[in-house]
Amino acid sequence: MSLHAVFQLCTTAALAGWIVLLIAPIAPTLADRVSGLLIPALLAVAYTGLMLAFWSRAEGGFDNLPNVMRLFTKPEIALAGWIHYLAFDLFVGSWEVRTARSERIPFLIVLPCLLLTFLFGPAGYLAFTGLRAARAMTPLARAPSLQS
Amino acid sequence: MTVDVFSACQRSRNFSFVAEVFAREPLYAGAAFYLAALIAPTLVAMTLDGRALAGVNVWLKPLRFEVALTVYLATLAWFAGWLPQGVTTTRWYRIYSACVVCAIAAEMIWIGGAASLGIASHFNESSPILGWTYRLMGGLAVLLTSSALVYGILILRNPNSRLDPAFKLSVGLGLVLTFVLTVAVAGYMANSGGHMVGSSSTNAPGGPLMGWARDHGDLRVPHFFATHAMHFIPGFGFLAAVALPTSAAYRAVIGFGAVFTVFVAYTFGEALMGHPFFALLP
Repeated sequence: MSLHAVFQLCTTAALAGWIVLLIAPIAPTLADRVSGLLIPALLAVAYTGLMLAFWSRAEGGFDNLPNVMRLFTKPEIALAGWIHYLAFDLFVGSWEVRTARSERIPFLIVLPCLLLTFLFGPAGYLAFTGLRAARAMTPLARAPSLQS
Repeated sequence: MTVDVFSACQRSRNFSFVAEVFAREPLYAGAAFYLAALIAPTLVAMTLDGRALAGVNVWLKPLRFEVALTVYLATLAWFAGWLPQGVTTTRWYRIYSACVVCAIAAEMIWIGGAASLGIASHFNESSPILGWTYRLMGGLAVLLTSSALVYGILILRNPNSRLDPAFKLSVGLGLVLTFVLTVAVAGYMANSGGHMVGSSSTNAPGGPLMGWARDHGDLRVPHFFATHAMHFIPGFGFLAAVALPTSAAYRAVIGFGAVFTVFVAYTFGEALMGHPFFALLP
């Protein structure tokens, strides 16, 4: 299997996971299982396989920026890094949806956070965390969750 | 007395092999499950990695060990149901079984790590560290195989296993022979510097599935049959216990154990003389 095919397969799988996440309000269990477990796990399998096969031949390291950049000059490692993004972004997106459900945050407010997480991972996490912090300080918003 | 291989079916309508194995020996079952899960990333690595060692993909060996050790641990977890009551909760057993699982983990890290680096694990004397690691792993391999011996003795000496005597004998005998024959064959192999006899350079092209050598002796053949005594002999014992009266079945199991041992010795001698196993196969 070519690296290009692996890239296509993983990107498509991640996109499918994000689409399932969008229908989480009508299919919460499906979204939790597919987007929060199955697809991140499959992406993790692909990542682990790539790392097992190619890490020992990669040049560079984690210790400084030029070394990290040298790691990514090897296509197999860059692909693994991309799959790392795909897997963890989707996992975080799924966690946002689950957390919002248990804290009764309306899905429509979570949507922008999901979009940000999809495109710029940590920025979306920051947006969602800010949203939760703001709600925690708002008595009106806190009230419903007290009843549960 | 019942043969009891499928007694779990009678106890529960929703029979699940996995659930039963986890109930009998959670540690071995969990380790078997984990090893089976390792097959997925190994297959990905094998698909993408073009490196070869001795003529075959570097990931073929970790894959074989994952499959083999999954089968080994899952079988032991199943046989754990016939250990004397309460053994699996004793302190010595918990420490011992943890050591067995740690030995298996060390073997997998060693074999997978060597594949990742594209170097040989077994028989690798290219540096002192690799040579000593190989020796250490040989010791750990004896430790992990000793679980078959311990299980065999405990099952043979268990007066309350509820098993048909002939089947019980076949399970115990198979387990004990797995240890004795494996240590004999693998011990010889480890000291002979390689598993090939007659030509040592390549594993390709091997025979179907197991990859055994086609044109010279391959000590992995007797190793395979020795290690699977714990499957072949209980398999025969089950059939004998079902088909024959108890005393005849008992004698048949003893006879089969003897024939099987001779067969392993034959494949061992065949490999030592540099002949491939395929004289026997169609």
